[in-house]
Amino acid sequence: MTRLRTAIRYAALTAGLAIVAGPFLWTLLGSFKTDAEIRREPPTFLPLRWIADNYTSLLERMDVVTATFNSAVVAGVVVASNLLFCSLVAYALTKLDFGAGRLVFGLVLLQMMVPAIVLLIPQFVTVASLGLADTYAGIVLPGLVTPLGVFLMRQFMGEIPDEIVHAARVDGAGEFRIFFRVVLPLCKPVLATLGLITFMASWNNFIWPAVVAQHEDMYTLPVALANLSTRETAHYGVLLAGVIVVITPVLLLFVLLQRYFVQGVATAGLK
Amino acid sequence: MKARTTRALALLATGLVLAGCGRGTDGAAEKPKDVNTTAQATGKLNVWAMGTEGEALDAFAKKFESANPGIEITVTPIGWDVAHDKIISSVAGRSTPDISMIGSTWMGELAKSGAVDPTPGNLIDKAAFFPGAWSTVDVDGTAWGVPWYVETRVLYYRKDLAAKAGVKPPATWEESKTFVKGLKKAGAGQGMQINYTVGSWQELLPLVWQQGGSINGPDGGWTFDTPEMVKALERTKSYFDEGLSTSKVDPASFPASFFKGEVGAFHSGPWMIAGMEKDGGDGFAEKFDVAPYAKGPAGGTSFIGGSDLVVFKDSGARDAAWKFVKWLTEPETQAAWFDTVKALPSVQAAWQRPELTADPRVAVFGEQLKDAKTPPPVPTWEQVAKAIEQQIERVVRGKTTPAEAAKAIQSRAETVGTGL
Repeated sequence: MTRLRTAIRYAALTAGLAIVAGPFLWTLLGSFKTDAEIRREPPTFLPLRWIADNYTSLLERMDVVTATFNSAVVAGVVVASNLLFCSLVAYALTKLDFGAGRLVFGLVLLQMMVPAIVLLIPQFVTVASLGLADTYAGIVLPGLVTPLGVFLMRQFMGEIPDEIVHAARVDGAGEFRIFFRVVLPLCKPVLATLGLITFMASWNNFIWPAVVAQHEDMYTLPVALANLSTRETAHYGVLLAGVIVVITPVLLLFVLLQRYFVQGVATAGLK
Repeated sequence: MKARTTRALALLATGLVLAGCGRGTDGAAEKPKDVNTTAQATGKLNVWAMGTEGEALDAFAKKFESANPGIEITVTPIGWDVAHDKIISSVAGRSTPDISMIGSTWMGELAKSGAVDPTPGNLIDKAAFFPGAWSTVDVDGTAWGVPWYVETRVLYYRKDLAAKAGVKPPATWEESKTFVKGLKKAGAGQGMQINYTVGSWQELLPLVWQQGGSINGPDGGWTFDTPEMVKALERTKSYFDEGLSTSKVDPASFPASFFKGEVGAFHSGPWMIAGMEKDGGDGFAEKFDVAPYAKGPAGGTSFIGGSDLVVFKDSGARDAAWKFVKWLTEPETQAAWFDTVKALPSVQAAWQRPELTADPRVAVFGEQLKDAKTPPPVPTWEQVAKAIEQQIERVVRGKTTPAEAAKAIQSRAETVGTGL
């Protein structure tokens, strides 16, 4: 009986895996096919002939190194600042007793409800009048503290017993010391989750860096990749190769942080 | 889906700009300033260009730089998907490039924004361009840039199927139906592929113009509820009703369906030649040909589109910018440009050059350009176009009648206005 159940479970999981991983695999294989083969009906799964042309033409047509560097810088800064500032705000909201806590949290929630696209022009006007158009600072500025991050951290920190914090206070620890030495270490799983979410959001972010970056040497990967499709025709082979270049770091990161990620989402969802 | 979202964003962005962040809106009355043609111009230029143009322009800019020491050009390629939003944001944030390529239907809203420089009459000669192309930069009597390259639509058809059916490319509307029926008999399940979704207005408006109709009156107001518009919609619908065209097939199956002979003919622009020769497989280049639009009661007017170049007022090197623009519209440059990216010259003289006379199929486009029109370059055009597209789809799907659809487009267009 249990063996049957196990067998069914594995069958279901395999089917699920095929559905999830299928498109990725197709993308990967497609990046080694010619455009004509990609369009072929019925489609082929394995390339008839493996070619690397898509990758060489990608490297010719797009400055992959610069774009990857820009994406990494932007994502690095955004992740680090979110980890720090979102948890600081969450600490203030959950562990410090101050009058406006609910109001502040309400404002954070309100921000989550405004579609980002509505803010595109006002944010750009702000960034441009600060003289930050076409700079890294301009690209990262609006993403330094995200409402989603604050929300996530607050939910998790609310679960950490106040007694621990009180005990630390009784022992004479200052608030920053409590934050860095006591609370933050307990937040590891959710920090990993937040890190991954903000990394992916920043890595995939298209419209904002596309608007702020005004020279090619400031382009992030998705922005540079978008140049490859023209209005009339899309060269799918090159695009697929580009997609592989863009998603590989994310996949690697996910594999490395998977344990924390699953745990973090599970606990953050509890409340 | 993506195109649709982008367009929605674009409209939103435009709305915001016009509502709050725009500058002097009295732009149309402005007088262009002359460019100093005697002194040598200097300065740094940042040029934005989309798609293939963005990739290919750098090499051209280098040529210009070496002939004009003191001018330094950076070409920034931008994606088509984001181009409109990016340009509008940069206008709002006063952080524009010196020169930008723009889609020809965006000219109205940019002219209105007050951020672009009127075309200096002492440098650019209007008469050198196709009149249809020039009308894309002319807003209320002032020119706000130059047409860079053009594209127009012609009939593409399967030569082999036409030969099998014993039909010749049609000269008139009447012959057109016979031609398509022939292709269908010869094996093309869809005799003619007609676009009825995004961009479908580009196939409908020629039908209005070919009857002598117009979508805007002499006072500039919209005139969609006309017998010509109703007739155009009826004609489109009849292809679907008679089974010569279908709305049951995923539009994404095109152009593969043309390669396989499931589609016998369609109307499209010059880029399809190179695209199909490349993607169609060996020998496909011999299997298709192009022909001018079949003539309606008033002629065979086609749609003219393409890209314009604008110079922004905030440019620190205005003279240098205009000189580069002028150079890009020299017949020699335009012919070389065609050779590189296959974009059709907007300057008539360029068509005499060998690069353009070599392929007879290209010459068909040259002929068609002499009779091609553009919708008025008004700020609200994209919104009006959306309304037309929606109604075309409803007519094709049998959800409304051509007469009702014409009324609906008119009422939506009147609500939107022209924005001028």
